Amino acid sequence: MAFPLPRGITPSEIAFLAEMEMVTVVPRQRLEGLELLGGPVEPLVPPRPSTPREYYPPAWLHPDPLSLILEVESQHQDYKNAFSPPLPLPGQPSIRDNGLAPKARPQYTPDGDRYFPSPPFLPQNTAQMTISSRDPPALPFHWVEIGNMLLEAASDDLVEADQVRRLLKDLREIRLSKMRAGVDALDAAAVGGGGVALTGVGAMEVGEERGFLSGVVDNLRKIGASKEQARREQMAEQRANGGYNGTQDEEEEEDYMEF
Amino acid sequence: MSYYDVDSILTDAQKLPCTFELEVPGLGILEGNPGEDIKPGTRIDLPLWLGEMLSIGARLGTSRLVTLDMPPALSERVMNALKADPRTVDLRALAPHFYSLSERILELFEEEEMVDVLTETFKRRAAEISDHAHNPRGAVGDGVDFLRGLDETERQLFRAAHDRAKEMRVWSGEAKKK
Repeated sequence: MAFPLPRGITPSEIAFLAEMEMVTVVPRQRLEGLELLGGPVEPLVPPRPSTPREYYPPAWLHPDPLSLILEVESQHQDYKNAFSPPLPLPGQPSIRDNGLAPKARPQYTPDGDRYFPSPPFLPQNTAQMTISSRDPPALPFHWVEIGNMLLEAASDDLVEADQVRRLLKDLREIRLSKMRAGVDALDAAAVGGGGVALTGVGAMEVGEERGFLSGVVDNLRKIGASKEQARREQMAEQRANGGYNGTQDEEEEEDYMEF
Repeated sequence: MSYYDVDSILTDAQKLPCTFELEVPGLGILEGNPGEDIKPGTRIDLPLWLGEMLSIGARLGTSRLVTLDMPPALSERVMNALKADPRTVDLRALAPHFYSLSERILELFEEEEMVDVLTETFKRRAAEISDHAHNPRGAVGDGVDFLRGLDETERQLFRAAHDRAKEMRVWSGEAKKK
């Protein structure tokens, strides 16, 4: 059509959004604190050279968790057509502590107000002091973008950067092919029924498949429009006649609620 | 389907076989006989927009001017071929705007089975299109015949999927910006 820009959001725009995510930096030079629009930046003080390095990359950006996720995605029976589950929401109990009450960990603003952080201010992509293996590994929402940018800018600080790069690529491919396989299930979405579950899919992956999937759904809807129309007319007719008993009524009612 | 949508305009121009029910004085120009009358029973291919308008009398209860037939692109033969294997049919040769045309036809005719066949066809072909679009070799290689047979709707899909995959490769630095 005549509109010159591609529909949807381009990869560089998605990467721009991902830049809101918090990462850890170790300063090499001294810098006074800055008052920026997004909030104050604390003064940067380089650590003493003698201090041993005790930072580790984000929990998910290691070869081990990534190969575990890759294995789950490709081998596990339950995840044949699904994506590995996303990180638990803040304040939700993680899968490991079954039955315990949800622990919401509040934080405090400089003025002392209590708040619960939400993305992008969750420390999903910051460096950690220790390698904790309490929670099962999960990919954050911006995993493609953050992974790519960290590999580009800080590959020296990652553990086995080459392997991480390879694993990320494999993961992306297997998840993309799953999303494309979802086209088979889409029929139902067009004529009333199920759909494709995209739980756990990252921003970049959604952005990449958006044009194709929405095109397919739209066209299936157009092809099925006349059938859908006929179905509705038939239902309206039955409703008007009122010639059925109570149990059928309920079924019809439920059916109608789908739209 | 917006007013300025070129594809929608081109769909409107596709031919539909019509049979005249009444005698129309002076309309022989449609048949190639300027100045003559059109006799009842004459079969002429009319553009979709015109055929639709002329046949509309049937809905208003007056005697209609023409009756519509299925266009050859949606004939029984084609439907059987699509049922057998959707991927080998050259939709572009049948009608450049195959799906848009069938949408309009399905509004005019009640053909439940055709809806099912077309839905299944579109799904099977969409999966194939996506595979071809993500293939780095793109439109060269084994898929040429299949890709040549895509109708306009499918071409747009192919383009959307292909461009997106390419933008991704450019962004991640795997491919150079041309």
